Amino acid sequence: MSALDNNAKEIAGDAGSDGGATSSPEINTKEQDKGPAGPVILFFIVGLFASLILGWIIFPKLLYSKKKQPIDFNHVMHMAEVEDGCESCHFFREDGTYSGVPKLDQCIDCHEEIQGDSPDEIKFVEEYVSKGREVPWLVYSRQPDCVFFSHVAHVKVAGMDCVTCHGHIGESESLKIYEENRITGYSRDIWGKSIGGFKKNTWDRMKMDDCAECHRKMTANIERTGVKTPTKRLIDHLVDVVSPGTSMSEKGSSVQTERGACFVCHK
Amino acid sequence: MKHKNAKKYGMVIDLDKCTGCGSCMVACMAENNVPFRKDESNKVLSITWLRVYQLTNGKPFPNTDICYLPRPCMHCEGQHEGHSPCVSVCPAVATDYNTETGIVSQIYTRCFGCRYCMASCPYHARYFNWWDPVWPDGMEKYLSPNVSPRMRGVVEKCSFCFHRYQLAKEKAFKEGRREIKEDEYQTACTQACPAGAITFGDLNNPNHAVSRMVKPDPKHHGRPTNPNAFRLLERLGTNPKVYYLSSREWVRRAGDNYLENEAKYKKTVHQG
Amino acid sequence: MKIDRRSFLSFLLGGAAGTALSPLPWKLTDDSSIWTQMWPWTPVPEDGEASYVNSSCTLCPGGCGITVRKIDDRAVKIEGMKRHPVNNGGLCSLGLSGLQLLYGPTRVKTPLKRVGKRGRGRWEKISWKDAVSEVAKTLGDLREKGQSHTVGFISGSDRGTVPRLFERFLTVYGSPNLIRTPSIIDSYELALHLMQGAQALPGFDFENANFILSFGSGIVDGWGSPVRMFRANSAWRDTGGKVIQIEPRLSNTAAKSDKWIPINPGTEAALALGIAHIIIKESLYDAEFINNYSEGFEDWKAFVLGEYGPDSVATITGIDSTTIIALARSFARASKPLAICGRGQGTTPGSLNECTAVHALNALVGNINKKGGVFAVAEPDYINWPEVEMDATAAAGMQKNRLDGAGSKKYPFSRYLLNRLPQAINSGKKYPLKALFVAGANPLYTMSDSKAVKKAFDKVPFIVSFSSYMDETAQNADLILPNHNYLERYEDIPTPAGMPQPVIGLSRPVVEPQFNTKHVGDVIILLAKAMGGTLSDAFAWDSYDACLKETMGYKWQVIIEKGFWSYPDFVAGPREESFDTVSGKFEFAPKETGSLKPFKPVKIEGDKTNYPLLLMPYDSIRLANGAMGDPPFVMKSVDDTVLKGTDVFIEINPKTAGEHGLREGQLAMLSTPVGQAKVKVHLFDGIMPGLVALPRGLGHTAYDEYLAGKGINVNELIGPVEDPVSGLDAAWGVRAKLAKA
Repeated sequence: MSALDNNAKEIAGDAGSDGGATSSPEINTKEQDKGPAGPVILFFIVGLFASLILGWIIFPKLLYSKKKQPIDFNHVMHMAEVEDGCESCHFFREDGTYSGVPKLDQCIDCHEEIQGDSPDEIKFVEEYVSKGREVPWLVYSRQPDCVFFSHVAHVKVAGMDCVTCHGHIGESESLKIYEENRITGYSRDIWGKSIGGFKKNTWDRMKMDDCAECHRKMTANIERTGVKTPTKRLIDHLVDVVSPGTSMSEKGSSVQTERGACFVCHK
Repeated sequence: MKHKNAKKYGMVIDLDKCTGCGSCMVACMAENNVPFRKDESNKVLSITWLRVYQLTNGKPFPNTDICYLPRPCMHCEGQHEGHSPCVSVCPAVATDYNTETGIVSQIYTRCFGCRYCMASCPYHARYFNWWDPVWPDGMEKYLSPNVSPRMRGVVEKCSFCFHRYQLAKEKAFKEGRREIKEDEYQTACTQACPAGAITFGDLNNPNHAVSRMVKPDPKHHGRPTNPNAFRLLERLGTNPKVYYLSSREWVRRAGDNYLENEAKYKKTVHQG
Repeated sequence: MKIDRRSFLSFLLGGAAGTALSPLPWKLTDDSSIWTQMWPWTPVPEDGEASYVNSSCTLCPGGCGITVRKIDDRAVKIEGMKRHPVNNGGLCSLGLSGLQLLYGPTRVKTPLKRVGKRGRGRWEKISWKDAVSEVAKTLGDLREKGQSHTVGFISGSDRGTVPRLFERFLTVYGSPNLIRTPSIIDSYELALHLMQGAQALPGFDFENANFILSFGSGIVDGWGSPVRMFRANSAWRDTGGKVIQIEPRLSNTAAKSDKWIPINPGTEAALALGIAHIIIKESLYDAEFINNYSEGFEDWKAFVLGEYGPDSVATITGIDSTTIIALARSFARASKPLAICGRGQGTTPGSLNECTAVHALNALVGNINKKGGVFAVAEPDYINWPEVEMDATAAAGMQKNRLDGAGSKKYPFSRYLLNRLPQAINSGKKYPLKALFVAGANPLYTMSDSKAVKKAFDKVPFIVSFSSYMDETAQNADLILPNHNYLERYEDIPTPAGMPQPVIGLSRPVVEPQFNTKHVGDVIILLAKAMGGTLSDAFAWDSYDACLKETMGYKWQVIIEKGFWSYPDFVAGPREESFDTVSGKFEFAPKETGSLKPFKPVKIEGDKTNYPLLLMPYDSIRLANGAMGDPPFVMKSVDDTVLKGTDVFIEINPKTAGEHGLREGQLAMLSTPVGQAKVKVHLFDGIMPGLVALPRGLGHTAYDEYLAGKGINVNELIGPVEDPVSGLDAAWGVRAKLAKA
């Protein structure tokens, strides 16, 4: 907070002198009339703190509405049952497209009848399976319609794992609350939990900058070494897929940005 | 070539085969979620990524002749790579030239509707959404998830069905391939044309039908060496990637806006 | 503590600084920009698994194979089926926009019963059960009164299981009045019947022909099976095949042809005979065929040589004699010549003499049932249902003469004469029509002389429409029993128009029925069961799908997998067995046709003094003019020189326009003896002076706001002209006048 304080003092000082020595005598007179600067500074600090509290604490509470998933889901339990890890349920279709959240058809093999005594499973079978209704899952990583993201390019070609972007959701025993941005309608997970946009892990945020950050790193690696080890080749693939051409030259394939072409990821 | 594997997707339209039936226009609208309105007879306002124009030789009966000319986006390359008329004026980085495919893209969400690109496009290939699109009563059910519906206030245009390229790539990746085959990426208009008048492929690949048909001359910005081939407004130097074939000279002349008594046709286009 | 102005300002300043240091402004900016880029009212199409379903398009008789792309359970795109014998991947604009019909606002979503006056558009929803029992009751009452013959049925086709169910129903019920909508196929069927003794469809081997002499047929304007014709036309460009187009207007076909020969409208038959004259005179004909397999050649030869010298033909047709002679020679000398007729899309049957004259040209060059020629293609005989048992009422009903006069003494060879129906009803001379069913047709829009048609329909007390869409006929019905859309139902599609080999296509459900509709086949079965007796006996199937499956037998599995059943080994029988006439040979001049009488052009309505111009309808592939109207996408492709706002343009030669003092874009009043309409003027050099042309397919009063109320229905301006031999509509135009509006 010390930086803020200094800042505040500076501004408070400025209120009287407007940049120091060149201030007009008229203003100085007024200042003398009104007495000491104490209350003024106080008000400034009150304003400052109020807005900081508003921006950092109240604003996120107002911005996001909390929604519960229609039913809870235990990833850990399901992971124990399947053989191919995430791809057992979140698989690639034959045409290379990514299936995303499983549809009822995939669940029905096991869940035609109620298996255990979990209330969520009972609800799932009774309200969705037997009625043939798809579960209206709230998808944490849902991106706007203008985004085209190729899972196959990242997973199959570049050999990335799911955790890099999606975190350890596969190790969760229940689904967290879905926080929906009241303005945009997308999940809080896109911007990230931190309202300030800070992130510790690669999976903390899913904004365009986060894609770019990773891609820049990969490109830089290649340019630095120039040697194509198997890992580098993998990275090379990844970069080439998302922004074709960048891995082979200093410039990207976009004439406008000299980076990756916009429509590789935007539709 | 900057990029070793750079492609240059282009189109060849055989005007001797084109019958003006309009299938390409409709296939494009259906593929790309193009909106429609009650009255579409004002063609300045009517959004048709690919429009079929009717040309006439202007001669009186019975020597009259007509020819149809389908006009998608030309995906101009310009005099140096990517100096397309529209890309160079866009202040919003909403339209872009991709050196890897040669396709001029339009990112609707970046566009803020200044329409400089429309003014600069010599082919009238760009359209502005003056209204929000409205699909009547349940018709939005047929909308394709591969192309974003646009909103009021943005410019849109032919993308050479780039989403089909993306889908073809995804399939190739799944099958462990890096390259896609010629027939795996074809535009909707090419596929639908009942007369087989449209050919699509990589102009950089001598094995692709498009290259064989027009034999582009790389020393002259891809100018066709097939004497029946021409590009629209060749003299502007926009270096388009859509080529036309016609055995009729008046059609080829009409393609470059020659003045009535101008006799430079052969010189400028075929020997130049 | 007093809050003075300075403190307040300071507070605000602190607030501003704090806000700037908080994520609030930056996050709000980001979010609001996302919000403005993704308006909540802009639809976001849901993603899902892509799949493809093969089916057949039934929007026209072309029979194209289609592949429908689906995302989960939504159909998102129709494409042409690759490797299909008809269209091999290509598709026309109507077929491509079929999803706008499936999901569009013009669908009839549930059975509807008229409330209030007919045609006012006020309906009440009724259940299928009530709807079927209401129809059963009306039909039962008529039958009890011995008036079963007063029930009529207008069908878009008479081939395939669905129309055959209609036919079966009417037979057991006791009405001879099943009427198919007309087209050039009627004339061709008649020509094949009279000249070859065949009950067959004409098939044209365009793929192997290399010199096409087209008497106004819109090869690339939607004639025959449109996509197949487009493909053939392109193949001729590659192989050097020639197309000669004979018609007074530069149609797209004429523009694409190797030579366009403008002709005085309605004189095509004379030209065909003039060409025959040269071929005979110069002995360019196929003597082997003529000598061995034809009958009546000598008489016909004498007639043609006597009447149709190039000079007299030149006078009639307006084509100079050297052109006629050159044309005859190049036709006869071509290795695979083929002559065809049927103006535009072949919407009207036309003059029978014209059809026989053109067909005779093919015979002259020995082009019958031969590679590159014309085939008589018998319908594949896969529909073998048990014989029906008719009770006395049915037998009595079937004994009655048809209301349209087909098969009567006057027109003994014609099978269906829809064009004569309005007059038969309006004159009231025969018997009244007490109930009318309409399926796969929109007669109130497609029949010429709209006023007379409307008057006739008004006289029918009970009209039932099976239309999936709110078309003109459905709008004027008493009951609408909506059929599934073609993407929601099974139906067999017998050999498409003009195919030289039999093909059976299959239309199949691509998506679940979207609304409370029922397959028309199922409705007929339900109706028969509700009526009981012999009717119920004749329809023992549980459902239409069961009926179709049983009918197809062993073919079912193949047709389900491939989407069509073809006869790759099909060969037309040897010439010795090809002709089933009395002589067993090809008849050049069957006496029934009166074709040895000198040519008289079909007399069209109107006199020259009052109506100095000729109005001809023209067909455009961008304007559907049959039972279906244009969906929004196809309307969008219509040029602004055809339609502007709600005004349609007539095409007129600048010279003629000048004589009338008309300029481009000017409004004018177009009058004919049948009606009048306000039109705009489009100057077109490619039309013969003295003619005006108006497109078919506009002027709808039904369907949606994207189609209705735009332009003029040309049928309001033109009436039918009976062909003296066939009774079919032979009108190719009407006399007209034009005045500044």
